[in-house]
Amino acid sequence: MILPDRSRSVFPWLLLAPFLILVALFTITPLFGAAVLSTQQTFGPGTTRFVGLSNFKNVLADPLFWTAFKNTLIFTLGSVLVQLPLALMFAMLLNQPGVRARSFFRLVLFSPVLVGVVYVAMIFFVLFQKRTGLVNQLLHGIFPSWDIGFAWLDQYIMVALILATLWQYMGFNMVYFLAALQNVPKELDEAARIDGASWWKRFRHVTLPAITPVGSFVVLLSIIGSVQVFELPYLLLQGSTGVDNKGLTIVGYLYQTGFQSGDLGYASAIGWTIAIVLAACAVLQRMLSGRTEQQRGVKRATRGGDA
Amino acid sequence: MAVVTGLIAMVTPETKREGASMWTFARMHAEMYGPELEAWNQQQTDPSRRVNLSLIGVQAMEQRMMSAFLAGLPSADLIEAERRNAARAFAGPLESVGFLDLTPYIERDGLMNKVNKASFLPWSKDGRIFGLPHDVHPMMMAYRADIVEAAGIDVNEIETWDDFERVMRLLLYKPDGTRRTDRYLLNMWETQIDLIEAVLLQAGGGVIDASGVPVIDSEVNARTISRIAMWTSGPEPIAAEVSFWDATGHQLMRDGFVIATFAPDWMCNYWRKEVPQLAGKMKLMPMPAWEKGGRRTSVWGGTMLGIPKTAQDPEKLWEIAKHLYLSRELAHELYTKSDIVTPVREFWSDDIYDQPDPFFMGQPKGRMYINLAPDVPDRFSSPFGAIALARTQGAVSQLCAYARDVKPQREEDLLPKAREFLAAAQRDAMRHVNRNVFFAARDSSEQSSDAAAEVTR
Repeated sequence: MILPDRSRSVFPWLLLAPFLILVALFTITPLFGAAVLSTQQTFGPGTTRFVGLSNFKNVLADPLFWTAFKNTLIFTLGSVLVQLPLALMFAMLLNQPGVRARSFFRLVLFSPVLVGVVYVAMIFFVLFQKRTGLVNQLLHGIFPSWDIGFAWLDQYIMVALILATLWQYMGFNMVYFLAALQNVPKELDEAARIDGASWWKRFRHVTLPAITPVGSFVVLLSIIGSVQVFELPYLLLQGSTGVDNKGLTIVGYLYQTGFQSGDLGYASAIGWTIAIVLAACAVLQRMLSGRTEQQRGVKRATRGGDA
Repeated sequence: MAVVTGLIAMVTPETKREGASMWTFARMHAEMYGPELEAWNQQQTDPSRRVNLSLIGVQAMEQRMMSAFLAGLPSADLIEAERRNAARAFAGPLESVGFLDLTPYIERDGLMNKVNKASFLPWSKDGRIFGLPHDVHPMMMAYRADIVEAAGIDVNEIETWDDFERVMRLLLYKPDGTRRTDRYLLNMWETQIDLIEAVLLQAGGGVIDASGVPVIDSEVNARTISRIAMWTSGPEPIAAEVSFWDATGHQLMRDGFVIATFAPDWMCNYWRKEVPQLAGKMKLMPMPAWEKGGRRTSVWGGTMLGIPKTAQDPEKLWEIAKHLYLSRELAHELYTKSDIVTPVREFWSDDIYDQPDPFFMGQPKGRMYINLAPDVPDRFSSPFGAIALARTQGAVSQLCAYARDVKPQREEDLLPKAREFLAAAQRDAMRHVNRNVFFAARDSSEQSSDAAAEVTR
């Protein structure tokens, strides 16, 4: 069937309409609503006063916001720098030819992601208990001088959070890396091997460039997920922000101000600040991966010229 | 999905039960009110005077209550709220409090003289009262009498915290003089903000003054948190953490890991149900004072019954509220079923409170709590209460970390740091006060302090 010109221009919009309506209703409108709210001080939606940009000024001068920012940054760095190399390592192990029961191990490593965050929090809450927790019991068993009352959830909450997240999401990221590794051209690796390249050189110059697009995407996803961390510390610390606010994250602080203190305006200002930080990360990631692509293109072109 | 469920919700007719609806968050309360409300409902010829009780989880209730209040929508006709939940309703300007101002009703019925005055304060804002108090919640110390008495210790020698440490200290050591690692004198830890607040209040401090402004950096608070840091984190700690709410904590209680623990009246019932193995092993004593002749009690927790502004026929609801909270029968039931002492002072002389309690080795527990009830310290509601408490807890944690590092010999060694940490906490809390335009507007009218004093009077 050939559609008339007019219908041809309307038809795609009709197909897109449900998506666009939903995005407009549930994404764009709240986004602008939050922008308006961020210029007000509120007690619920009914009681508001216009305060201009002072919410943003207060956020930037708020030591608690910076504590939350620092904690979130530590968590993000911990998650990205520990979780992703491990995920890549396991992906490479499983990608080795001749690995038996590959699907089984893939499932085993991936399965924690199928467990909800609430369960993860409950499990790790029990594991990290002071005297009765398995972690302290185990460490005390191995190293008798280990303090059985070691307060993981008080003094080292970020370590506990990073470990819990590592357990839950490492397999998830591993699946991405595994998919990327399976797309690395085998002939390139073989050619490098024949040329006498070491394992490290093959990894550095063949594997890594090939998986960089997926890798940078996984890094971006991990950063976004880490910056938005809320449920896990909330549940592990049972609604508190931990000793000396060591477990306070940016989204946790947003929740505290918006939904516990009722100041939706201040919470919106925090939300917008997070959004700006995340947008900056995304732009940076695009720029970096763009530059890498460009460099690769230049190299390819140079090699082509040489030939 | 959202569109579909929204449409279904829109077209589904609302099912409204006849009579008033009431929410409570505590199973114990629901069990107590159930038969009472059934009897009340049977007596009512007018179906609109009946009450339908719903038991709702504390957080779910808070969310539903606050959503309704903030949006100006109807919720239940009567809401029984715990102190922390209710405090959220008082966080905004006076006109946006979702509960009905009960002050005229309370004054008309002469309840100010009938009910313990301090019990009104947590439910008051700018001198207006928004809730009928359910309790007083005086606090005592519960101690392992089996262990203490076997060691030949006489708790009557204890009047102050200094006495407590001196008299009880021998329980920390084995016969050969070495320090026990499985025993502490006190159940207290640096993140338990309810206990920290209770101890500060007992000492004459606190984090919020009568006008609702944070007063974290007082000298009495500095001295008190220095002592807390010595207890929990000094070179010879006497306090350790035993969670009240989980099986691990219950096991440690049974093991006698801590000798004494803070015990508001409601906690007695909790132990009775959750750790029955402690029956006949524990006794109660007034809290040690901070100085000779000082206050021997404090307060923890609290519940109120409020009528949302959107409720129909407040007069009728007020009658139901009075029946539930102020009748002698229910006051007695409150005590027998939940160990909670009524705030209605004229019932305090009733014999029921003199009955010996086998759980506490035959002590007349009710009378002991009632003797302390008039001394329960004042607690003021404030939009900054939660912030002030959180910052204070942060200061306590910082001081405890400092104490672990420097291993001070005396409490006085910690005082300069305590002052410094509390001052920083105060500055931070005041930033919230100063940026709050609603509070600034209220403050400029200079009503708050006088009004709070009015309720206290």
